Amino acid sequence: MHATIQKPIDEIIKHIQPGEKVFVVGCNNCAWKCYSGGEAETEMMAKRLEKRGIEVAGYTVPGPQGMSLCKLSHTRKVLLEDHADEVKNADSFLILGCGQGVHTVIDATDGGMVHPGCDTVFGGETVSDTHIEEYCSLCGDCIIENTGGLCPMTLCAKQLLNGPCGGAEDGHCEVDPERPCGWILIYERLKKLGRLDLLDSYQPPKKNSKWSRPRSLEVSPTEATFCSISGKVTISNQD
Amino acid sequence: MKLTTLFEKGEFVVTGEVGPIKGAIHRDKSIEPSCAIEALQLHQHVHAVNVTDNQSAVMRLGSLAASVRLKTNGIEPVYQLTCRDRNRLALQSDLLTAYSLGIDNVLLLTGDHIQLGDHKEAKPVFDLDSVQLIDMAKGLKRGYDISGSRIENYLDMAFGAVVNPNSDPLDLQIMKMKKKIDAGAQFFQTQAVYDVTVFEKFIKKVEKFNCPIQVGIVILKSPQMARFMNKNVSGVHVPEDLIEEIGSVAKEDRKKKSAEIAGRFVKEVKSICQGVHIMPLGWTDIVPDILEYAGIKHK
Ligand code: SF4
Ligand code: SF4
Repeated sequence: MHATIQKPIDEIIKHIQPGEKVFVVGCNNCAWKCYSGGEAETEMMAKRLEKRGIEVAGYTVPGPQGMSLCKLSHTRKVLLEDHADEVKNADSFLILGCGQGVHTVIDATDGGMVHPGCDTVFGGETVSDTHIEEYCSLCGDCIIENTGGLCPMTLCAKQLLNGPCGGAEDGHCEVDPERPCGWILIYERLKKLGRLDLLDSYQPPKKNSKWSRPRSLEVSPTEATFCSISGKVTISNQD
Repeated sequence: MKLTTLFEKGEFVVTGEVGPIKGAIHRDKSIEPSCAIEALQLHQHVHAVNVTDNQSAVMRLGSLAASVRLKTNGIEPVYQLTCRDRNRLALQSDLLTAYSLGIDNVLLLTGDHIQLGDHKEAKPVFDLDSVQLIDMAKGLKRGYDISGSRIENYLDMAFGAVVNPNSDPLDLQIMKMKKKIDAGAQFFQTQAVYDVTVFEKFIKKVEKFNCPIQVGIVILKSPQMARFMNKNVSGVHVPEDLIEEIGSVAKEDRKKKSAEIAGRFVKEVKSICQGVHIMPLGWTDIVPDILEYAGIKHK
């Protein structure tokens, strides 16, 4: 999921021009789980804006619950059909969702003016209803086969691939003593699995071209093509 | 001169360390930067002097410029190069530049994280880790860059690396040390160690690698400084009895005591390692006393 957190309200309203009519759009999937853009927060945002003298043209969270704002066809239908009049009347859209959701609204409204209402912080695991944790940095070149599935690109502050720096203290990272050293987590896990041998092999430098921006993915039921500056890679899911 | 030559001759290799100034070197060549002055004080007593690379992620004069200044003054520098601020292009280019400017020894490190320094909003690079850096440097020695293209005039420098004997779990640290040796590391300087037992335990596990190791010494200046290190310098532990010992003498006697503590430690471990790396943190004047206490002949 994409973890998001609302921007401070003062920062949001700073960018809204006098007289600008704003339509608020939330997301019923990730932002709902983050309490940053579900139905309750979106309705609340409309009220918070009005309280500050901003004209709200309308608001919606494309549903049902679990539906992602970033599903373009659905968002387009909800905005252009279900909310046609309010959307027509709006000068801009305030999106309570991730950056993908912001772009989905641009596409859905054929280039409408947008304001991001959230900071998109990371892609994470919903560990519990109140805790989301980052375990993958979306690098495009996954190397966690040798680390027991724990990602050193994400769990190690220096993204070291061949083992820890010398700085961990009592199992904690030298950069952020609040956090465990990612390499000690990897070590303890592999030890438990009886697979410390996985650590012996040299990990070559990352293929950063796969981590280039922007990237895209073409998908079909039988194969997918990943496009980055390293080129196009097509993988079949059939054999 | 490469430090590896000294190790091969069986010398007990003594190195010191200076940190480049926060500023540029004066155009007037008669004005030495303080790091060069400190290095000159060490000169008679050590084989070479490490020059740190934006140490603790605090922005300073480049390690290479300061290394070259030392070399010009007749002092052998150990040029430190970290992965924090440079991607693989810059690292290779800097290695070739260093060799071209006469540098014979380079210490290849990951580097402290930007968060520890004075430019907290900078982008940490860490394109490579220290093992990959060493492997890449070895390529330049053999005539290839990391992309496999041939280079002309291969570099020929001694490659040093670091290891922390205080690390827990130690086996994980040693796993990485082994990778560094396989990648091309030719000698090691350790993180500061204060406990003989810790160092002995470490050496027992790594002597099979047959790679020269210089034990790392950070001079204890005061109990406050020792406590500060325990709290803020990761991977270093000053035992309580040493903190008490340095605190047991009046301020004006601290330098003497400090030299005694460091010298005593080196004396105890010198037979199980191949050299000592002293980080005097400005107290360069006590280095001769440390060596004296340790019973190490001046070079
Ligand atoms: S290696 Fe890359 S793809 Fe794999 S978990 Fe880490 S960041 Fe994600
Ligand atoms: S202490 Fe561990 S997690 Fe932190 S930078 Fe070092 S190796 Fe990475």
